[in-house]
Amino acid sequence: MTPVISMNFIDYTILAAYVIITIVVGYALKKYMKTSEDFFLSGRSLPSWITSLAFLSANLGALEVIGMVANSAKYGILTVHFYWIGAIPAMIFLGIFMMPFYYSSRVRSVPEYLKLRYNEATRGLNALSFAIMTLLMSGISMYAMALLFELMLGWSLTSSILLSAIVVLIYVFFGGLSSSIYNEVIQFFLIWLGLLPVVYIGLHAVGGFEGLVRRIPASFMHAWQPMSSAANNPMGVDWIGVVLGLGFVLSFGYWTTDFLVVQRAMASEDLAAARRTPLVASFPKMLVPIIVVIPGLLAVALLPQFKIASGAVAQGGATPDYNSALILMFAHYLPNGILGLAITGLLASFMSGMAGNVTAFNTVWTYDIYGSYIKKNMPDQHYLKMGKYATIFGVLFSVGTAYIVQSFPNLMDYMQLIFTFFNAPLFATFLLGMFWKKATPWGGFFGLLSGILAAAFHYFVLYRPGIVHYPSEMAANFYQAWWAWCADFVVTIVVSLFTAKKEESALAGLVYGLTPRPHSGSTLFRKPEFWAVVSLVMMVALNIIFW
Amino acid sequence: MESSQGRKHLFDLKIPLGSLLGFYGVLLLLYGLLGPASVYTKSFNVNVNIIWGILMILIASAFLASSYLGRSTKH
Repeated sequence: MTPVISMNFIDYTILAAYVIITIVVGYALKKYMKTSEDFFLSGRSLPSWITSLAFLSANLGALEVIGMVANSAKYGILTVHFYWIGAIPAMIFLGIFMMPFYYSSRVRSVPEYLKLRYNEATRGLNALSFAIMTLLMSGISMYAMALLFELMLGWSLTSSILLSAIVVLIYVFFGGLSSSIYNEVIQFFLIWLGLLPVVYIGLHAVGGFEGLVRRIPASFMHAWQPMSSAANNPMGVDWIGVVLGLGFVLSFGYWTTDFLVVQRAMASEDLAAARRTPLVASFPKMLVPIIVVIPGLLAVALLPQFKIASGAVAQGGATPDYNSALILMFAHYLPNGILGLAITGLLASFMSGMAGNVTAFNTVWTYDIYGSYIKKNMPDQHYLKMGKYATIFGVLFSVGTAYIVQSFPNLMDYMQLIFTFFNAPLFATFLLGMFWKKATPWGGFFGLLSGILAAAFHYFVLYRPGIVHYPSEMAANFYQAWWAWCADFVVTIVVSLFTAKKEESALAGLVYGLTPRPHSGSTLFRKPEFWAVVSLVMMVALNIIFW
Repeated sequence: MESSQGRKHLFDLKIPLGSLLGFYGVLLLLYGLLGPASVYTKSFNVNVNIIWGILMILIASAFLASSYLGRSTKH
């Protein structure tokens, strides 16, 4: 198979410069890593512009970019729901309401919060599932990246996997979370600078934004109009599914409890900066559709295999490979030079995605598994060293997963699915834990367990054998998240009514009403509430414009 | 475990970030000026490398300047 894209020496120079600078940055951070907090939480010393961009980039992995461009080519502007309603309210909620508990209680990880608020068992359940899932996902994305680079440039799977594994290992081993965060910020700029030329040249080719609108189906330009019923839109989801499943459960579950993103905010220099992290990040988040949705729409307008308007897709029979939409746009419209920059942006987001997983894993492993169950109360230096070993182990395990997935490609969808079993209900456990002081330790544990089991039950017993039906896979996913959340919420409350409560003194700083109200920043621009309001207004405005 | 709260550490990210983007900017600008014009048939004869090279040099200068100013006000 001949590669889709041919790079020349300029493109390779750009790629090589990125690899070199990441290793240099990682190595230069080595001398700052004196305590375990330096390694796992960047010494809680980073300014909010850095943590905000890292917070956003941790979620802007290349898989996500490729997948969302594909979604936009398939469903049109409906894809913005993943960036607006499916992200912004949750990010604001994290910054305004939840961050004070995370940051002020000085916990070092999400599972550690669960231990203080509930009990050891709840922490163990969350820490183990998170650690395993994180490494599996890291391996899956490494494999997906290798496939992409094979298609694009003709690199062998092994050379892509080894290149990314070695570079990530070097920089995380030396610089820990700081390396990971610094690379995410670099990636943020590279992905924007790399993808904007596609938008620029593509819009030039279709004759501006009006030209684009004229060349795609009218329903592709509306975010809410086709949502009145599931049958009216290509995604097969109605607005209730979007609001409850995506906007509420999945989005809040991910943005407020996934340690991978929360860890970035915890690395902030003070509470006000930690609270501003998700709020400031919400602004570039709202703009991400410029570099993912527009290229998808441009692919529909410009590339014959994606033309839906002319009926080529409907009549042609063969479904186009939507995942190749972005790469084909690169191949058709980017001259050498800028091409290298775009590919480097993709490589950077793959690597920083993997580094993010590895740093979240080594923190949870060291603090919540090794330091809690295997060797307690060791000197700090011992845990610092363990964090470094965990990095090596984490990378090796990811490489192993990548090769296993290579032999069983179906595993990939399967594992991504199982991941949602663990993620969706967790938000109910946190919501009750932070805002209802009567939630008891065993209420938390059985609630979380029931939520996970409810998701599994819904999938394996009801949905798979065909007992319940949904118009689309995505609708099934949204409603499954919703029911898992309900199960967790109800069981936590019921069990709490019958089990022993924690002493109120043990909950100080962890629960609303038992925690002093956070002191907001001194000036208006430092106040988290100010940014929350601006962000919310902007999100509503965008939804109205693209109604 | 030791807390390192309040200790300003780590070097300024704007320096490696500005250097990388600056290097890319210069490289793209030079390639846009000196390289073959035939590659731009893809981009409708717009020499995007020159435009993007200049843009990246500007962004890089902003990072490096702000890092330099930030340091001189501290001391």
